[in-house]
Order: sequence, then structure tokens, then C-alpha cells
Amino acid sequence: MRDTLIDTLALSADADAVSWLRQTLSELSENFEKRPFYYAFSGVSRRFDKSATIQGSDESLFEGWDKYRAARVALLLVLAEQEKETFLETFFAVLNTADIREQIALFSALQWMPHQEELVEPAVDGLRSNIVDIFDAIALNNPFPQKHFTDEAWNQMVLKAIFITRPLYRIHGIADRKNQLLAEAISDLAHERWAAGRVITPEAWRSVSGFLDERHGNDIRKIAESENSDDRSAAALVVSESGNDLEDLRETLAPELAQIDSGELTWHTLGQTMEEKLVRKSLT
Amino acid sequence: MRFFDSHVHMVSRTTDDYQRMAAAGVTAIIEPSFWQGQPRTEVGTFKDYFNSLIGFERFRASQFGIQHYCTIGLNPKEANNEKLAEAVLELMPLYICKEGVVGIGEIGFDDQTKAEEKYLIKQAELALEADLPIQIHTPHRDKKKGTIRTMDVLEDVGVDPSKVIIDHNNEETVKQVLDRGYWSAFTIYPHTKLGNERMVELILEYGAEQIVVDSAADWGISDPLAVPKTAALMKDRGISLEKIEQVTYHNPLAAYGQSGQVSEKDWDENEGIDPTALFEGNTLLRGGMDVETAMSQYLIE
Repeated sequence: MRDTLIDTLALSADADAVSWLRQTLSELSENFEKRPFYYAFSGVSRRFDKSATIQGSDESLFEGWDKYRAARVALLLVLAEQEKETFLETFFAVLNTADIREQIALFSALQWMPHQEELVEPAVDGLRSNIVDIFDAIALNNPFPQKHFTDEAWNQMVLKAIFITRPLYRIHGIADRKNQLLAEAISDLAHERWAAGRVITPEAWRSVSGFLDERHGNDIRKIAESENSDDRSAAALVVSESGNDLEDLRETLAPELAQIDSGELTWHTLGQTMEEKLVRKSLT
Repeated sequence: MRFFDSHVHMVSRTTDDYQRMAAAGVTAIIEPSFWQGQPRTEVGTFKDYFNSLIGFERFRASQFGIQHYCTIGLNPKEANNEKLAEAVLELMPLYICKEGVVGIGEIGFDDQTKAEEKYLIKQAELALEADLPIQIHTPHRDKKKGTIRTMDVLEDVGVDPSKVIIDHNNEETVKQVLDRGYWSAFTIYPHTKLGNERMVELILEYGAEQIVVDSAADWGISDPLAVPKTAALMKDRGISLEKIEQVTYHNPLAAYGQSGQVSEKDWDENEGIDPTALFEGNTLLRGGMDVETAMSQYLIE
């Protein structure tokens, strides 16, 4: 993992910076000490470009990472090899004094860290941040929450992701950890939004699918009638997963259901569509 | 014109100040770690203070288009609480190599006690270890002796004077500081430190080489526009634009640029202010600006 990360980083990062990183990693591997680790972890900003994302990677794990994040996660992988007490002390010392970009690296690395049971609380706490990049580092493309969060924490995370319009398809386990309470909370949120004349991301309904009672059924009927084609896609996806319930919508949603049959429309493709629209919106 | 105020304690200032500074051309600032007007009793408050310097205050400045940097250090007053001082020294390595940390500071002497000397030495050693500039606070009382003693101590540790900015100089200290190869900073601070007419005289006598002008604006009666106001006065008194730019912009940039953590690129590439950005849920931008009124009287006595 460490080698893959460094090799990927080396494709686009400054050669001197990469050789500094390799050297530092080998020194820390051989003889780990806290202070040189602190200097290296924060000092990444002295060696690598500030803004550029890492290039040429086939590793979707690192998608969208900048060089600071990649180099810092590589360093954390050495920290992960240390004995429990050193690991926990150092991890928390760094986390409690981290700037925004350091926090992003720390949370991205959770999935490769040992003693994960001790890291659940800081991850849940990190999600309380209103800094979107920090929220994303924990919630998106990260298997840690799926593996460790209680239903309560999981539901809070998914609801907040919906609330701040993050791409749900990037949440690991979004399909597997659906539950009744979450479905109800999403429906409540949708009703609040509708009452205020606002919308809710169509991706939200993937977590309602499978928990249909009368109220949820009516929600789906409402979005099936929407003028927004993404809402109708979401409704069709729910219908396709609901056996004979919502049978009455099959006619209205015939075009979308055909797309589902051909494999053209899935929750994943809908998520990608929504994310592209979000990016375009933020650029204009 | 644009200005680099290399000493200003923004945690004690309001958003009105930020607006006026930005409007007056202050492009970049350095916030030195200092005491907070009353002694701290726990190391945790230092940690949160340092966190705010690299976090919220930096963000707040960015909301006004101002690039915010900081120096990290244990100030001399609080160095006298040795138990606390040791704990702060333990904490500092976590911060000193961070993005935007341009030096160790402000450190030096206050009462010139043994404990102050001990922590000046330890922090100078830390600066050598992390290859960072040092920002020196010179004492208010017995300043001349304290300044000379500071330079002696630093040289004993093996610090290169060209990586040290000695602040709060006056007519009595400037010559030795410059002769020994240090950057000499002057704080334009009403009543207690230096008025800007005296600053003009100093430039006329010593030129602009190695000289830095800053405001050290803080929680007291001080002036966050001291740097642009002094520039205006210097222009009024016939000092060349080149010299004015040198002491209010290029010199502080060169001195602290030795950290590798600040360069002109940081603001030349700045895409401007994002007024909708939030830091942990807070937004700051408000209307109203009285910079013209504020700048119309630029004499600071």
C-alpha cells in the first residue's frame, strides 16, 4: 500500500520531494521518534506543491488527493507500524493540533490504521465539522464508517451528507447499511424541504428503498411525478427494487425502468450524474 | 501600494480592522504568538491558541483577502512559569513546521530573568533544528541592555543573525542591531513605543537596508493601519517610494521568506475573496468601511 501510494505520488511530484519522503520513511521505519515524525508530517508543506492533485493514478483509492494528503498518509502508514501506545499518543497529538489539510490526511488514513476501535470517536467528532473537505475525507471513499459506526452515527453521517448535498454513491456501504430509522429521517427531511419549497437530492431515496410503508410509498409517488428527470430516475430505481409494491408507477416510469433494464441507469450512475451537476454548478 | 505587516495580533482585532487594513493595501500579515494580556494557567490554552493561529484566524483574514501567517513561540513573560513553559516547549514541535508558520516568535526577554534566558536558548535551538527565522521581542524596560544580551545569547547558540528579526527597536538600539547583521524592526505603536515621525528620522539616518516597519497592533490602544500610515508620512516627508516599499513590504518578505513558508506567489495567485465561505459554520463579512476617514490622519504619536 505504501509503495503504491509513493509510486503514484512520484508520477507527478517533484523528484527531490519524493526522495526526501522515501528517505524520511525509511528513517522512521528503522527508528521511530515522535519529534522527527511531527516535523515530517507537517513539513510536507515545505516540500510538495501546494495545490496540484496527484496524477496518472489507476488507484481510485487516491482519487482527487493532493500531494500533501498523499505524502502525509504515507507517513501515517509508518506510524501505523508502531506499538499501540506510541501509535495512539502520536496519532492523537497530531490530530489535536492539525490544520485543515492535516486533518484531511488523518481522516483519509483511518482505514489503514491499527486499533481502529479507538479512532471511532474522533471520526464521529470530525463529521461535526462544517468544513466540507474534512467531512468528505471521513464520509466519502472511506470504508471506515461502514465498518465501525453505530447505526446512530451512521444515520447522522448519511443525513448530513444529504443535508449538505454530498455524493452518496461515494459512501462505502450506503446500500448495505440502510435501516428503518434512517429511511424515516430521510422522509421527514424531504417533507421539510418540500414544505419550504426546496428540493432534496434524488440519491437520498436509495436509503429509503426497502423500507416502504404507506408514507414512503407516497413520497415515491410524488417524485415519480416530478418534472426533474433525476427525481424520476430515483423513483424508478426504488420501484425496480420493490417487487410488487408501487406496481402502479410502472407505467409512468416506463422509460426510466427500461434504462434500468438495459443497465444504463443504476444508483451509481445517478450519483455520478448528480455529482457532475454539482461540480458544474460550483464552477459557474 | 501593498504592505506586509510582519507583526500584528489579529486575534484581538475586529472585522472592521480587517476591512480597513485590506482597503489600505495590507496584503499579508504575520501574527506572532504572544501573551494574551493575562497569564495562562494551562498548557491546553496554548494549544487552542496555536490552533486558532493556524486555523480560524488564518481563515478570518482570508475572508478579507489578507494572507495570514504566524510565528509560534513561548513569550518571555510566561517563560517565568517554568512548569507551564516546559509543557509549551513540548507542544511547539507539533506546530513549527506547519504550513504558513514562518518562524519562532515572539521570544526574547521581558524582566531578563534566568528563566527567560533558559527558554530563549531552548527556543533558539528549536529554530536551528527546524531551520526557521526567529522573531525577537525586546524588553520595554532596560531595553538597550536587554537587546544586547539577546544578541549575545543567540550568537552563543550559533544562530545566524541574518535569520533573526529583532523587533521594537528605537534610536538607542538600532545601530548595534544593524551592525551585528540582524534585521531591525520598528513598531509604530502610539504612546508607548514609537511614533511615525521618529520612524521617518530613523530612515533618513539609517536608510532602508535590513529595516522593517510593523504595527504590533494588539488588545491595547494601537493601530492596525500603522504601516500604511507610516508609508504615507514617509512619502509626505520626501522618502523615495523604493525605500518605502523596502521597509513596509520587501524587507519583511525577505526576512521571513527564509522560512520557505511565505512568498509573493501566495497572494499573486490568490483568486480573491470568497464571501460565502464558512469556517466551522461561521461567516464574517459585514458592510461598512471607514478607511478614508482612518487614513486621513496618518500621524501616529
